[in-house]
Amino acid sequence: MDRHKTTEAMSEAELARLLSRVQAGDSEAWGELYRNYAPAIFRFCRRVLPTREDSEDATTEVFMKVRQKLGTYDSSRPFTAWLYKVASNHCWDTLRRRRIRQDLETGDLDTLPLEHPDPGQLEQLQAEHTSKEVRTGLAKLPDRARMALVLRYYADMSYEEIADTLGVRRQFVGVLLLRARHQLRDALSGGGDPQKFLSGRKI
Amino acid sequence: MNSLDSGPEKHFDEVTALLYLERQLELDQAREFAEHLVSCNACSTLLRALEKESIWLREALSTDAESIPARVIAAPERTNAHWGWIAAFGLCAAGGYTLWNGFIGPAMSGASEAGFGQDSVLMTLFFSGAFWRGWDAMRSLTEFLAMATLGALAIWLLRKQWKRFTAIAFVMGAMICTLAMPQSAAAADIERGNPSYTLPAGQEVKTDLIVWATRARIDGDVDGDLIVWSQNVTVNGHIKGDILGAAQELRVNGPVDGNVRAWVQTLTINNSVAKNVLAMTGVTYEDERATIGGTLTVLAGTMEVSGHVTGDLLALVGDLTVNGSLGRDALVRGGQFTVGPNAQIAGKTRYIGDHQPDISPSAKLGSPVEITYKKRGPDYSRWDYYWHQIMLWGASFIFGLVLLFAVPAFFASAENSANRFGPAIGFGALFLFATPIVAAIVCATIVGLGVGIAALLLYLICLYASQVFIASWLGHKIINAGVGFGPAIGRLALGLAILRVLRMLPYVGWLVTLVMIMWGLGALVLALHRAMRPQAVPA
Ligand SMILES: [Zn+2]
Repeated sequence: MDRHKTTEAMSEAELARLLSRVQAGDSEAWGELYRNYAPAIFRFCRRVLPTREDSEDATTEVFMKVRQKLGTYDSSRPFTAWLYKVASNHCWDTLRRRRIRQDLETGDLDTLPLEHPDPGQLEQLQAEHTSKEVRTGLAKLPDRARMALVLRYYADMSYEEIADTLGVRRQFVGVLLLRARHQLRDALSGGGDPQKFLSGRKI
Repeated sequence: MNSLDSGPEKHFDEVTALLYLERQLELDQAREFAEHLVSCNACSTLLRALEKESIWLREALSTDAESIPARVIAAPERTNAHWGWIAAFGLCAAGGYTLWNGFIGPAMSGASEAGFGQDSVLMTLFFSGAFWRGWDAMRSLTEFLAMATLGALAIWLLRKQWKRFTAIAFVMGAMICTLAMPQSAAAADIERGNPSYTLPAGQEVKTDLIVWATRARIDGDVDGDLIVWSQNVTVNGHIKGDILGAAQELRVNGPVDGNVRAWVQTLTINNSVAKNVLAMTGVTYEDERATIGGTLTVLAGTMEVSGHVTGDLLALVGDLTVNGSLGRDALVRGGQFTVGPNAQIAGKTRYIGDHQPDISPSAKLGSPVEITYKKRGPDYSRWDYYWHQIMLWGASFIFGLVLLFAVPAFFASAENSANRFGPAIGFGALFLFATPIVAAIVCATIVGLGVGIAALLLYLICLYASQVFIASWLGHKIINAGVGFGPAIGRLALGLAILRVLRMLPYVGWLVTLVMIMWGLGALVLALHRAMRPQAVPA
């Protein structure tokens, strides 16, 4: 699953050695760690936060936290997963602080259409939009929806980790992801269509 | 359960399909769904569509389309925050250097030249902005440094949106040009005394007159403003503009059509001033013959008002005697306050201080003198003091609440910026010292007093607001939990209370206040910078 994690693949042993050097205060090792992981973290932030500048700031701040918290990293678990957890907590905090009033999303299924979407239209939508357009569409989503999609499909987080980061119940993550997909479909198919033609149709 | 009835067949809903796809269903649920898929075309089509969507989403998200900014690529030795520290302290040092070189140094030499001790240098500093134009000798270097600092700051603030802010850049450029232009182009007659300067009677200066001399005697008339920096100034002629003066002694014997703004050791006004008088002096005499058309505002050691003041009298004076007539109210703060037998005060008289005012029974007062006693310095043994502190806390809390509800996102952003302690303190210090200087420059050279005073007012509001952000930040450190207004209000109240207590501490309270102001002001500046940036996402 490590498609976009690092610029150059690093073996587990190499990483372990690097991490122990960083923990011993080796600044060169820190530089190497940073160079390896900063681009992925920047991209992660860029997909979640509104502006490029925010993402630059956030990348810096995430690595500051990483340096502080490296002692708490459990080396039996994947390092990237831990890194994304730190980054997602930081970004979610940032987004939440910017918007004191939370959009009150509930765990109900009520807001989801019960009908199945039209697979043909869905495929057409996927064919018609470039990755860049998808990311632009993503930026229009509410914070939590955007965050959920990025955590799941960019950072490969488990449902438990997503629930923990976003502070929702584990059972709600699926609904959250599906609703986010619907919102993305609506955003890409021209936005404020009240019929939400791609969201569902009678079968 | 997760299935729904729609016609004769029983289908599973989209959430269940997604959960099945992502392997999040319970084992028996998954088995049930898998069995259904075998026979149901609609559900397997849906599953495939969702799967394709997953792949499509992953691809869209993992495409490395955007370049990684240099700031992120460049591996920092420790953290990337270094540049912020360096920039902040560099600018701060530049600001400090400007301040020292442009203001404190000249003020000291100017003060000793004009016959003052160095203890009043702070006063000079405060007041000297108005005499910017008179500082001919210091002009080029100071202005260059001040503008260089300002320019560096502007470049830093605008570095990411040069294109968007070309207008601002243009304005900045224009400002620099205005200042760099020789002052003689601004139609003023600049005279350097050798060592004394006299404008003979009968002569008339058609423009502003700027004088820098050991002694200055103005017997002729001036059509514009008279700006003077001298040990001893006597004005006998008619000044049709304002008088701006710094001197050991300033005697105004001729009529003035504008205002008098003076920082002098001894100010004597013997004739009419059509508008306001603003003075910071050791001693101020207003002669019986004198009339002041507007308000008389004085910060002085000793003052006597014997003539007429049409407007209000605002005085912060050690020893004040009023024996003339006041057209409106008198607000007096200070030590001794004497109302003489010839005094007439048409409006209200309020006195705040620590002495019993001496009021002559033959004085004509519009209403009895309102007296409020106030001791100097904190008196920890009095309940009043604590009550006052609680009131101050309440005032800052209400102010914070207004900010919190009016601009919640900005509030959060400023609070967040307080985390960046180094840059915040750096910028805070810079703005704390640079803003009054810039405002003074604006007052004297560019758009005029109105803009400068508005800027100063805004600055004072920002200084006051600084405590709110630090308090909120502090509250957040102590009680982290909770999102929304309730917890935010709680954090604000707690933080403000802690700050208030810390500021009450003897000896270190002022230091707490200073750090708090610099830090909060810096956070505010950083947040403003953030808010100025274009937002890609409509909220
Ligand atoms: Zn079915």
